[in-house]
Amino acid sequence: MAVDRSYHMGGTTPGKLAAEIAIIAATLAILAFLVYPTAWVLLASFRTPETMFASSGFTFTLDNYRKLLASEFAGAIFNSLLLCLASVIVSTFVSVIAAYAFSRKRFRWKSLIFGSVMLGQTFPWIILVTPVFILFAKMGLLNSHLGMVFVYVAVSIPFSIYLLVGYLESIPRSLDEAAIIDGCSQFEVIWRIIFPIMLPGIVATATYAFLLCWSEYLFALAFLSDTTKKTMPLLLAGYFGENVVEWGNVMAGSALTTLPTLLLFLPLQARMTSGLAAGSVKQ
Amino acid sequence: MAKKSEAMRGDRGFVLTMLAPTFFFLACFYVYPFAFNIENSFTDLSLFGLRQGGEWIGTENYLELMASPDFRRVLWNTIVWLTIVGVAVRILLGLGLALLMTSRTIRKYRLSTACRILLIVPWATPPIVAILVWRWMLDPRTGAVNGWLTSLGLIDQPIAFLATAQWVWPALITIITWNTLPLVTLTFMAALQSLPEELIEAAEVDGASRLQVLRYVYIPHLKPAIIVMVLMSTFWTFNNFVYVWLTTGAGPGLYTNVMATEVYIKAFVEGRMGYSSAVGVVMATIMTIFGLIYLRVIAQREMKEVFDDGR
Repeated sequence: MAVDRSYHMGGTTPGKLAAEIAIIAATLAILAFLVYPTAWVLLASFRTPETMFASSGFTFTLDNYRKLLASEFAGAIFNSLLLCLASVIVSTFVSVIAAYAFSRKRFRWKSLIFGSVMLGQTFPWIILVTPVFILFAKMGLLNSHLGMVFVYVAVSIPFSIYLLVGYLESIPRSLDEAAIIDGCSQFEVIWRIIFPIMLPGIVATATYAFLLCWSEYLFALAFLSDTTKKTMPLLLAGYFGENVVEWGNVMAGSALTTLPTLLLFLPLQARMTSGLAAGSVKQ
Repeated sequence: MAKKSEAMRGDRGFVLTMLAPTFFFLACFYVYPFAFNIENSFTDLSLFGLRQGGEWIGTENYLELMASPDFRRVLWNTIVWLTIVGVAVRILLGLGLALLMTSRTIRKYRLSTACRILLIVPWATPPIVAILVWRWMLDPRTGAVNGWLTSLGLIDQPIAFLATAQWVWPALITIITWNTLPLVTLTFMAALQSLPEELIEAAEVDGASRLQVLRYVYIPHLKPAIIVMVLMSTFWTFNNFVYVWLTTGAGPGLYTNVMATEVYIKAFVEGRMGYSSAVGVVMATIMTIFGLIYLRVIAQREMKEVFDDGR
């Protein structure tokens, strides 16, 4: 069978050109389809609710945002930010020190303990709603941000540790051994040697924890009933009612919820996906 | 295993300090509530009688559940539709897209980076927003999808995708796939970067057809990434509550009810917390069995040293 080498030489025959055009057209069509829904939300958020669905001739407006930010949604943005930042700080700290112990130390029952932490990833959160609800009711943690931070830290720890152990495994152990021989204490090794090297991994992990919390709906729905305590996803779901849909609020609120995640995903994606791919390729 | 140096030997106090916060969170959030959940599953605890607690009724909840045709339908929906179909569609499309977006043509015109950036958009869209916009897109009156299909002449009458038994599952799978496909695609694209071009060229020089190259070069190289993505997608999807709940509310009727929504409906709509806990225990059992498979895979591959290090 003859091999068409023109391809590798950079030459282009008409048949090849047609194939190339077909491939590029298909790719663009798929990308357009994938981007369309989100792009539409962003555009619609600047249209008046009356002209939102008009196929042609819409009216540009900032009123959707003005109205939304004058409502309780402003408080929800604050709540979401506060909850996510607090959860991320606690969860990242807890995960980093645990990941260090798992990656660098030998101790009894390590496989069992590490395995149990990893099993947390596959655990269905929904079944914790009832027992934690009862527990929180007894402890007065319903409708409290403290309770929610506890929940978000707990749900993000297993995957965070998984990611961080993956990063730590790629850092040579001889590095911390050398530091200890030089007289560093264990905590100094973590703080002065490991932390700076694995900072990119920590940033990726913290971003993951932030995004998890930012879009979380189930626990917020179950544990927050006081409107002044609610987060953005909760209010957003409320605008899209069974009978009444407040389109202006839906679109502006959706845009404001999506924008931060979009900005965080751009730098994160390369690290996150190469981490998942590399971890799995390593044999 | 080679003998570890002094520095790597664990000292108990240090390890305990490092792990104590993790233990605290996991014990308070997973272990204790789950034990409480198991206990509740043997009672008739109701939402409206939380204060007085439930009566011990033995295995009655489990017997009811096993005899219930509704529960069989829920199992079928969760395992076959949501998980198997949902994950298979995502992995196959992700594979196809990753191969397309790293193909020679796309690289020749330097479109790979643009592809990667645009792929982030659906992934970065929070599920709640994804669901809202798709509910509009699939709406029979104003939605875009019906508009497209009508103008293409494919349908005469608008279809209420989310209210028709025949269409609701494909519609749900579409929404979930749209939101989760990019992660899978980007991971496969990242894995493909480490595939040496010479390998493909060598296969082509040897006269391998495109299908053979796919079968004998690409797939073996991607296999570990595929396994990890299948496993992770499976537990992310199986356990997911929001997609079904906020898209269809388990409807029409209870047609798209899955285990996660069943746990919620039984506890908070019907107020039968004991029965709901029993459903939860079944759900957790299935995921634990699955989780052990996941552990075996990560213990054999990426986290081998961690698992080998201590027992």
